[in-house]
Amino acid sequence: MATSVELKSVVKDYPLGKLTVHALRGVDVVIGRGEFTVIAGPSGSGKTTLLNMIGCVDVPTSGQVVIDGQPTAKLDDRGRTSLRLEKLGFIFQTFNLIPVLSTVQNIEFPLLLQGRLGKAERQQRVAEMIELVDLKAQVQQRPNELSGGQRQRVAIARALVTQPGIVLADEPTANLDSVTGMRIIDLMKEINQRQQTTFIFSTHDPRIMSHARRIVHIVDGAIDPAAAAPGAGA
Amino acid sequence: MSTLARLSILLTLAWRSLYSHKAKNAIVGLIIGLGSMLVVLGTSLLDSIDRGMQHSITASIAGHLQVYDANARDELALFGGVTMSMPEIGSIPDFKKVKTALEAAPNVAAVVPLGMYFAEFYTSTEFDRAIEALRSALRAGTPQQVAAHQQRIRSMAALLREQFVNLLQYSSDRVELQRQLADIETVGNDAFWARLATEADRVVEFLDTKIAPLVDAEDALALNYLGTDIALFAKSFDTFEVVEGQLVPPGERGLMINQTFMQDVVRNRIARDLDALKLEIIDRGKRIAADPLLQARVDRMVRQYRRITFQLDPVQADALARSLRALMPEAQGNVDELMQAFLRVDDGNFSARLDFFNREIGPRIRLYPFGVGDVITIQSYTRSGYPKAQNIKIWGVFRFKGLEKSMVAGAYNLMDMVSFRELYGQMTEDKRKELAGLQAEVGARDIKAEEAEAALFGAGQQIEQQQKAGAGISIDERSDLRQTRLAGRVIDASRFDPKTLDDGLALNAAVLLKDASNVELSALELQRVADEHQLGVRVVTWQKASGMVGQLVILVRIILYVAIFIIFLVALVIINNTMILATMERTTEIGTIRAIGGQRLFVRVLFLLETLILGAVAALIGTFVGAGLVGWLGQVGLPAVHDVLTFLFSGPRLFPTYGLWNLITAWLAILGVSLLATFYPAFLATRIQPAVAMQTRE
Repeated sequence: MATSVELKSVVKDYPLGKLTVHALRGVDVVIGRGEFTVIAGPSGSGKTTLLNMIGCVDVPTSGQVVIDGQPTAKLDDRGRTSLRLEKLGFIFQTFNLIPVLSTVQNIEFPLLLQGRLGKAERQQRVAEMIELVDLKAQVQQRPNELSGGQRQRVAIARALVTQPGIVLADEPTANLDSVTGMRIIDLMKEINQRQQTTFIFSTHDPRIMSHARRIVHIVDGAIDPAAAAPGAGA
Repeated sequence: MSTLARLSILLTLAWRSLYSHKAKNAIVGLIIGLGSMLVVLGTSLLDSIDRGMQHSITASIAGHLQVYDANARDELALFGGVTMSMPEIGSIPDFKKVKTALEAAPNVAAVVPLGMYFAEFYTSTEFDRAIEALRSALRAGTPQQVAAHQQRIRSMAALLREQFVNLLQYSSDRVELQRQLADIETVGNDAFWARLATEADRVVEFLDTKIAPLVDAEDALALNYLGTDIALFAKSFDTFEVVEGQLVPPGERGLMINQTFMQDVVRNRIARDLDALKLEIIDRGKRIAADPLLQARVDRMVRQYRRITFQLDPVQADALARSLRALMPEAQGNVDELMQAFLRVDDGNFSARLDFFNREIGPRIRLYPFGVGDVITIQSYTRSGYPKAQNIKIWGVFRFKGLEKSMVAGAYNLMDMVSFRELYGQMTEDKRKELAGLQAEVGARDIKAEEAEAALFGAGQQIEQQQKAGAGISIDERSDLRQTRLAGRVIDASRFDPKTLDDGLALNAAVLLKDASNVELSALELQRVADEHQLGVRVVTWQKASGMVGQLVILVRIILYVAIFIIFLVALVIINNTMILATMERTTEIGTIRAIGGQRLFVRVLFLLETLILGAVAALIGTFVGAGLVGWLGQVGLPAVHDVLTFLFSGPRLFPTYGLWNLITAWLAILGVSLLATFYPAFLATRIQPAVAMQTRE
């Protein structure tokens, strides 16, 4: 199985006044392509920080992050931004759709940032995504006209439209009721299986964990080896 | 293609964001709109003031450029310099040479010789007029009239006597005064008047030569004049207009009197005072009772009552006294007392009294001591300080059309160039020969006027008194002046050949251009021509030549620019702060865009684009509102509520107009300011970390 994400001795310290918060204390993780992985842990354990490292939205104090075989240590902001655009998809707890854009425009947005595809191809790609997340009736709606579940489906479509190798989901069901949350999980799992897209979640929702092929437990900024048994839930 | 696609999403984002942040953008838009409106208004007003001023200055006296002595000590200041004294601007000794050289330049329409100078002139006194009236009554042989004028002269002499008795108490030169007092007392005697029957001429001559000179001349009026080629002047300055009489014919000497000067300086003092009161009370709504300055003005006017009563013969005086008693039944006394009571106006009776004056008094008196066709005597000092008097005919009254209320309107009267040169002290060829002959006769040394002082004092001679230019006129001198005046009231000198008009000196010259769109450049070009021909003159623009006036426009411009700068600064701060707040509100949105792969540049462009759209639209609206406002003001006019404004507006109202340039400048300037105000918020936005999108909210 090819490696999708590799973290080597990743340390992240935050200054907090005169103190230093050790958010990550040397984390080593390898996630293979197509894995459906959950990063679990209590609040403040460092799971969001870990996700930030994988998502290249933050840089480690020390250690290495390799995404899709590409080391990220030497990348500047511009390089990391390009990497996020090309290789990663993001799903947020609060959906984070752009409020002034319609469903179609929100989904199309990353393609426009890439600026690689022609209009016809973009429309084709967006149409597929809409089909996939079943939002045909809501294509012209703005985010504030959509339900929570619909919004998260738009967000999933947005994350997948560039066909990234890795999708990061930060507590994707936390703001959804349980039925909707389950549907979202099912959708993601379906995509994971169909497209071999790597999914990495941060969550403390046991239902998601039950779907995960692998759970990485993180406690006090370090991986809890006791709980890190691969395939624990799946 | 990719850029276009990105631009389209940027535009969509920017446009929709603007729409979704209505409150913020309403504030920013309002400020931008207001700013651009004020800039349009301010610059349009200023440009209109500038144009008005340019018109009133260039089209009346200055022309587009002024030429004067390169070696002049002071700078030319047509409308007064920083100091009150007359600037030393040298002279152009050979005007013809300058004119010929400059008129050859392609852009020059005319070169008009000028010479600003000043003289004093004395209007004939009421005593003079009474003598004149007596003389014509005697000639006509109307005993009743003779008796009336005799009585009038006697009452004037009685007043004069009082004055001299007072004077005697303070004077050191009692002998002379006592002799004069004796002459005055002679006029009080019946015996003196009895001689009228036998030797009338002697009586009149006595009055004319002994008594008349003792009567205080009414105020010596300062006459600012501009020696010029009057025909060329009239042709070159399009606001020039003859309102009465005619132009001084070519080859004739003479004066053209300025209408504003006539109204504001020459006219009967009481008529002027009443007009000034009318302006304050009726037009400006002030109240005498509440305004000490107006009260002082009324007091002064009351003291001037003789300016009316002295003009009346006994018959007229009786008639007026009857009318005055009818108007003021409670008033007592003779016509003098009635007139004083009449002039003591208050808020209640002012307009009735003004009506009465215009109806009953104005027609009975001479409102102007002279008019078209009269010859007046003016006295001046030559440049080297010699007093010089001349009788000169008034051919006409002129005005600068449309500029009646501007400060330049009454600044100068016009005089023919030849008379000017004589009063200024330039020798004509004939005079020079005559003088040379005289000098040879008496063996005098030829001393230049400038060196006269050194020649006199260097020799250590005791000179008790030195007559200086501008010093008061002694009694002796006044009798010289009087002699000139009495010399048959004829014009001193003969006609001259119009062809020789340009031969000789001018102090400066006005240059009128064919294309005056860039006077600065034209000034440089002409300066080059002048230097090539070694004319020894400097060429300056009208702004520079107009002295304080030109500087005032610059001052107003500076004030406006400072005001605009402050407006910009305030707009900058408010827009900046509002945008920073808005940026903070949009942290998640910006973080999300950054997280899913939007570069910093994308965020920066997005912010600037939002401002650009908002600014362009708001500034456009503001610009149009400003233009509409200027257009409206252009219709109704902006009233000059203060004298300084009257001056700036070149009249009682300013009718501003705007040019396309005002609108474009305002639009671009305010857009620039808004973009500038967005740089920092946009920079802050680019600093938003993509990680903020990930922050889990519990």
